[in-house]
Amino acid sequence: MFTFLRRVIRFGWHNFWRAGGLNIATVFVLIVTLTLITCLFISEGAVNHIMDQIKEKIDISVYMTPDTSDEEIELIKNKLVAMPEVQEVKIVSKEDAMNQFREKHQNDPVLLESLDIVGTNPFYASLDIKAKNPEQYAAILEVINSDSLKDVVYKVDYVEKKTVIEKLSGFITNVNTGGLALALALGVVAVLVAFNTIRVAIYDASKEISIMRLVGASNSFIRGPFIVQGIISGAIAALASFIILLLMTYFLAPKIESLTSGFNVFSWFISRAFGLFFLQLVSGIALGVISSLIAIRKYLTA
Amino acid sequence: MILFENISKIYKPDTVALKNVSFQINPNEFVSIVGKSGAGKTTLIKLLLREEPPTTGRIVYAGKNIAEIKNKDLPLFRQKIGCVFQDYRLLPHKTVFENVAYAMELMGATDDEILSDVPRLLEIVGLEDRAKHFPLGLSGGEKQRTAIARALAVRPEVIIADEPTGNLDPYHTRDIIKLLEKIYELGTTVILSTHDKVIINSLGRRVITLDNGEIIRDEEKGRFIL
Ligand SMILES: Nc1ncnc2c1ncn2[C@@H]1O[C@H](COP(=O)(O)OP(=O)(O)OP(=O)(O)O)[C@@H](O)[C@H]1O
Ligand SMILES: [Mg+2]
Repeated sequence: MFTFLRRVIRFGWHNFWRAGGLNIATVFVLIVTLTLITCLFISEGAVNHIMDQIKEKIDISVYMTPDTSDEEIELIKNKLVAMPEVQEVKIVSKEDAMNQFREKHQNDPVLLESLDIVGTNPFYASLDIKAKNPEQYAAILEVINSDSLKDVVYKVDYVEKKTVIEKLSGFITNVNTGGLALALALGVVAVLVAFNTIRVAIYDASKEISIMRLVGASNSFIRGPFIVQGIISGAIAALASFIILLLMTYFLAPKIESLTSGFNVFSWFISRAFGLFFLQLVSGIALGVISSLIAIRKYLTA
Repeated sequence: MILFENISKIYKPDTVALKNVSFQINPNEFVSIVGKSGAGKTTLIKLLLREEPPTTGRIVYAGKNIAEIKNKDLPLFRQKIGCVFQDYRLLPHKTVFENVAYAMELMGATDDEILSDVPRLLEIVGLEDRAKHFPLGLSGGEKQRTAIARALAVRPEVIIADEPTGNLDPYHTRDIIKLLEKIYELGTTVILSTHDKVIINSLGRRVITLDNGEIIRDEEKGRFIL
């Protein structure tokens, strides 16, 4: 049994390196397939990241009427914090608001000067509210718009943001599902091409198989080396694809970082390198072996 | 040891390749099967190797009806018969040495046996200095000698050679035939199919003549008459 295995592995190894062309084609197609499938995972990661970013940016700003006292604001804040839907409430005092404004427009002397001319602080104090989930803003809004707070609330800044955000997240979801469908279709095509290439490679070997049968090789002795070849092709393809992706993400990451709102594909890739490589290795070998087995089946019926 | 009983073979739909063929081959015989192209020589050999089933009749090998051999035992059955073909049928991605060793590996021979037997076989066929070459770089005669060494490697009871010299020049032809005679003298049954008149007339051994799928002559010390 051990001798059998050793011989089968040696035959597969020899065949892989000696058969040349078609094996190269097989490996190439497998590389493309694996790279494509892995890109699917990466883009999924990027999209999730962008979604998180967007969710992070959603909040409600409640501007208080000018004569609301700090105590009152504090009271409202505590009330809101007590809600199970609320993640965080931040008080932005009039002074904070003005300082933020000054900072933001520090290169615009005309604006700052006009602010000085006004003399008093024209800004409103506000509460920035973050929900735990984007869906929970409705509940929070209900509280804010309730009659008890009617007198102190000057303006609620959510409606405008909301439409933008909804449009954007709708767009992203569409892109996401569309991209997924496209990637899936491409993945299927790639798998089919891989299958077919290996089938052709084995068809090329059909004469060899008939010779093996004729000199009395058992089915497992014929099949074995092809399985080994499938494993070798898959493993080499996985390694090559991994290296290609490593380089690709490394060089691409800085260029697309702004596009993906701070998502760094390279560090994402590195942080999952082990799992991704394992995934590539397993799917590469599985593809290689399964397609070998399917392709060879018809030559083995006695 | 080989018995053909009323064998007919009709390829679908209606090509009659063999008609009611009966003969017996005894251990340690050198039998030539001659006939024009299309006479049915290859078909006869295919039936014997169970590559094709006969349409009617029975083939007995070593006392056993070969139609009753189970598919899973077929490799074992074929390992006992050494085959040589006109087109050599060597494995292209294996060296001369590996091609010969392959047959032994199939039988489960140990590495030691392979390392001692293969060089000896290559010496018998005169290819000891070609061991590391691939078939593509060999002459026809060298390829055929490799095939014969492979056939011998399993220590077969019978060697079947289907037009082994069909693609060879007269010089290499004589080489191969001499080799087959040597193998016969060492105690192996040889079945040789050919349509080469010179070979048959120089051999002076049993000849079965096929014509149109029928045996028209079967004589000891036969001559080539068609
Ligand atoms: N697989 C097949 N299907 C249909 N007909 C076949 C098949 N193989 C052979 N034949 C036919 O059977 C007949 C005998 O063929 P066979 O190959 O046995 O002849 P042969 O004596 O070996 O000829 P050659 O000297 O050319 O090799 C021929 O008429 C051939 O066309
Ligand atoms: Mg023939």
